[in-house]
Amino acid sequence: MSIISYEEQTKITRAIIKAAVMMLEFGAESKLIDQISQRMGAALGVKSVEMSLIPSAIVLTTLTPNQSVTTTRRAHHKPINMSIVYDIVRLCIELEKKRFGVLLVAKRLKEIKPNYYNRWLIVFMIGLSCASFAYLRGADVAAFFITFLAASTAMGVRQKLAKHRFVSIVIFTVTAFVATMVASLSYVNSISSTPSIALSSSVLLLVPGFPFINSILDAVKGYLSMGWGRWLQATLLTLATSMGIIFAMSLLNIKGW
Amino acid sequence: MSEFIITHILAAFFSAIPAVGFAMVFNVPKHTLKFCAMGGAIAYTSRMILLDLHMPIELATFLASLLIGTIAVHWSRKYIVPRPIYTVASIIPLIPGTYAFSTMISLVDMNSHGVTPELIAIFIGNGLKSLSILGAISFGLALPSLYFIRHNRPII
Repeated sequence: MSIISYEEQTKITRAIIKAAVMMLEFGAESKLIDQISQRMGAALGVKSVEMSLIPSAIVLTTLTPNQSVTTTRRAHHKPINMSIVYDIVRLCIELEKKRFGVLLVAKRLKEIKPNYYNRWLIVFMIGLSCASFAYLRGADVAAFFITFLAASTAMGVRQKLAKHRFVSIVIFTVTAFVATMVASLSYVNSISSTPSIALSSSVLLLVPGFPFINSILDAVKGYLSMGWGRWLQATLLTLATSMGIIFAMSLLNIKGW
Repeated sequence: MSEFIITHILAAFFSAIPAVGFAMVFNVPKHTLKFCAMGGAIAYTSRMILLDLHMPIELATFLASLLIGTIAVHWSRKYIVPRPIYTVASIIPLIPGTYAFSTMISLVDMNSHGVTPELIAIFIGNGLKSLSILGAISFGLALPSLYFIRHNRPII
């Protein structure tokens, strides 16, 4: 193994932790973050990469035979974005094959852009998704369309609030409130015979299924603190959503969810 | 028999839609969308068939997510895509969202209207259901990758 200078190793460490922080922020599971960092380290020529993951930060050390470089980064959690995780994994695989230098890795990481879908397409698809859930639970036609209306309105509100950078707990509460308010249309004139299905399906766009699943996967694979952190985050979001539902229901005086 | 097939095809179609919808919220790469749709349909329909065979919902969910986890390993090797991209969207139709919200709502109800045996029953019943289904999904997804951790080599 050739000797790596201190400056060179600092650059390598920075590139690796940049990739790791991006993966943590956009919702990759801990095992993948650990694996990709180690593989990138091996491909860039350091002896080993050791990292400590907690929900809000990463501490990462690269080791070579004669020195070690350690650095820490804060992670600010952002909405889940799988295309960024995909791009980083692809970059890592390409790096292992072609063995290009650290400068190009840093440049490629800077160039990664999220793959956003059209806003209105997402609003429509989420409305349709929640309506499909309602269908799968046996809703009638009126409940199906009211769920569609409620969920797509809620998704529009959620995107609007996310654009103004509200805290996710506030976003979830307000969105659940709006969804329940619109879904309660199914009680008017007994238009639907299954109003409670419309009510419960229209808030399904807010289920934090991803953090829940990730937390158990992390815990099973030995990242216990990450597992707890994600579990708490998901529980908080569920509680926030429930508060929104309850507030709307007590305002409309609906009993029994 | 034909009625059986029509119900299941409809269920497969209506469970593929949420898989695609949520895959878009998670911003998956465009070329993986059709696999997410297929995954959602496979996961939900296989669980539905297992439930028809009078299996408990936890076991049926576990087997369905084990199936989709294994298929996703195959896809991720074939197309060089990290496995979570496929699995995350595919298990969306299985997630016990209503149970989780009912649990939290009963908790708040107990605080504001007083504790009654019915509310405790709702809380514990729904809480256990959502926990056990979530656990079943995660273990089903984790098993195929735990198989590879044993050899200490990555899936792709």
